[in-house]
Amino acid sequence: MIGARLRTRGRTCNPAHISNLPAIIDTRDLRKVFRSLKRRTGPLGALSTLFSHEREERVAVGGVTMSLESGELVGYIGPNGAGKSTTIKMLTGILVPTSGELRVAGLVPWQQRQANARNIGVVFGQRSQLYWDLPLIESFDLLRAIYGIPQAQYRRNLNELVELLQMEDLLRTPVRQLSLGQRMRGDFAAAMMHNPSIVFLDEPTIGLDVVAKEAVREFIARINAQRGTTILLTTHDLADVERLCRRIVLIDHGQIIYDGSIDRLRDEYGRTRTLVVRFAAPVVDPQLDGADLASMESSTARFSFDRSREHAGLLVRQASERYSVEDISFEEPELGAIIRRIYVEGYATS
Amino acid sequence: MGLSSVEFTSKVMLRHDAGQLRERARELRSLMNLKPYIEFARKAFAREAVYRVEVLTKIGSLILRVYVLRSLWTALYARNAAPLNLPLHSMITYVTVAMLMSLILSVDGTWLLREKIREGTIETDLIKPISIPLYLFSDGFGQALLQAVLVIPSLLCALLLVHIDIPNGATFVIFMLSFTVGYCVNFLLNLLMNSVAFWTLDSTVAQMIVRWASELLSGAIIPLTFFPGIVGRVVTALPFAAIYSTPLLIYVGVIPASQWALAIAVQCIWLVLFAVLASMVWSAASRKIVIQGG
Repeated sequence: MIGARLRTRGRTCNPAHISNLPAIIDTRDLRKVFRSLKRRTGPLGALSTLFSHEREERVAVGGVTMSLESGELVGYIGPNGAGKSTTIKMLTGILVPTSGELRVAGLVPWQQRQANARNIGVVFGQRSQLYWDLPLIESFDLLRAIYGIPQAQYRRNLNELVELLQMEDLLRTPVRQLSLGQRMRGDFAAAMMHNPSIVFLDEPTIGLDVVAKEAVREFIARINAQRGTTILLTTHDLADVERLCRRIVLIDHGQIIYDGSIDRLRDEYGRTRTLVVRFAAPVVDPQLDGADLASMESSTARFSFDRSREHAGLLVRQASERYSVEDISFEEPELGAIIRRIYVEGYATS
Repeated sequence: MGLSSVEFTSKVMLRHDAGQLRERARELRSLMNLKPYIEFARKAFAREAVYRVEVLTKIGSLILRVYVLRSLWTALYARNAAPLNLPLHSMITYVTVAMLMSLILSVDGTWLLREKIREGTIETDLIKPISIPLYLFSDGFGQALLQAVLVIPSLLCALLLVHIDIPNGATFVIFMLSFTVGYCVNFLLNLLMNSVAFWTLDSTVAQMIVRWASELLSGAIIPLTFFPGIVGRVVTALPFAAIYSTPLLIYVGVIPASQWALAIAVQCIWLVLFAVLASMVWSAASRKIVIQGG
């Protein structure tokens, strides 16, 4: 029930439903249930598994309804095993859904896998689509043949992507000799070579160092802004999402639990802000009206307060009037903390 | 891990069938565009050509085996084991040509499939607008082409050790035709075997059983005409015979010109049957795909 209510909430916020633009990705009650033979443990476990017909079901995606407007960049967030990758695999035509409807650029991916493949680009952070034994440039060349990319467009794209991702020196190197960061850049170029209108990024920054992560984020932002490519991004690194997405979709146990802007999530969930006060002289048990003392360490006190009820400016004045204050700052609730709270408590309050 | 079929509501099922038909039609149209597949074959050829030592070893071991077989059959024939209608020179021709054929036929491009399913890398192929069976065929074909190049030096070396009958032009053309059909039957058989991995996630055992059966029953080692009575008729009727036996028996003249059409027709029946079976297996498999590790 809560799920249903939330979904409508999410949708009212989704621009696709306000502006009547056709959604480029549309799923309705999409489900994927994996059924497998139940495995037994114990000394004769393997043997009895062989003869048993007991099956167990695992709901990977349990009724996902969402739509993306053309040109959107949406963060698809959830803990491990929440159903993110399974959803992406259905949208890319790798997996056949158990039930429900889906359309990607007007096509049903699992029925029209090859046609759908021409519209989409995919980057799996954990898996490369480049040809392991071949130099990078030959992988690109193979993609040109696969997608039937006209020579002129191929040249133009190759030059642009090589420059954007700084790959000039890597083109002649066999893929297996590339570092993870280098390979990732190659994978991004490979996914973009045929000018896809939709790109699925499944944990593209996983395992990358800070510099490589930033380069990847920069690239994603540019592709979205310049080419108007629709992007669905799954990641565990919320810094990716904060940097790139305005809208996020939260999924847990195969269900969408939030769909809307990051700002709204912050407004509703991150009401508790922290006021950090460093005193000039030691103070015992400082008090501020309207704020609770959360912690006190040497001469620094942390007060938490509800920003919808208390005025931050008044609290600052109060503190500086009562005590001798050296420094005052605010801490915004961290997105990760907000999302963790939602997973633990459910999206019900506010 | 065996996975039962995913259950569909009947509504979804009907739509699925209609969509499947449309997809088939589209696939057929996209087959007209062979460019990507030619490229796959070229890349496979180039990739295999790198292993030069392996190439030399292969020729060496082939020559050795030809020599051993010649000695063996010569000894057997001297003991008056000469069977039926195959004189010694035909027998030696048979085993030598079978050897050369095995250079090409032992290439299994579909072996890749097993790895891809087991490691889950098949998803990176599924996101591309290509037919996976056709991709495997072209990759295998590229490898086979390299092996075909090796046939020439192998043949020349073999000729130093053994005498081989050279058939007349017409027989050779029909042999090549029959060999081509046999090559495709062999591909489909391998494809079917490796597709078992969609269900079991591993197909090593199935692969081994079929490999043993096919080596013995395809006529790669001994002509099927040596099997007595009812056994002989059974093994000749099996699909394995279409791979080695039919082209070889055409080559050595056991199958006369009057029966060429029939022999090749039987091969083609197996080809069509396996193709239908493979396409059924693939359409079922696509619903079963479970990606490992993620």
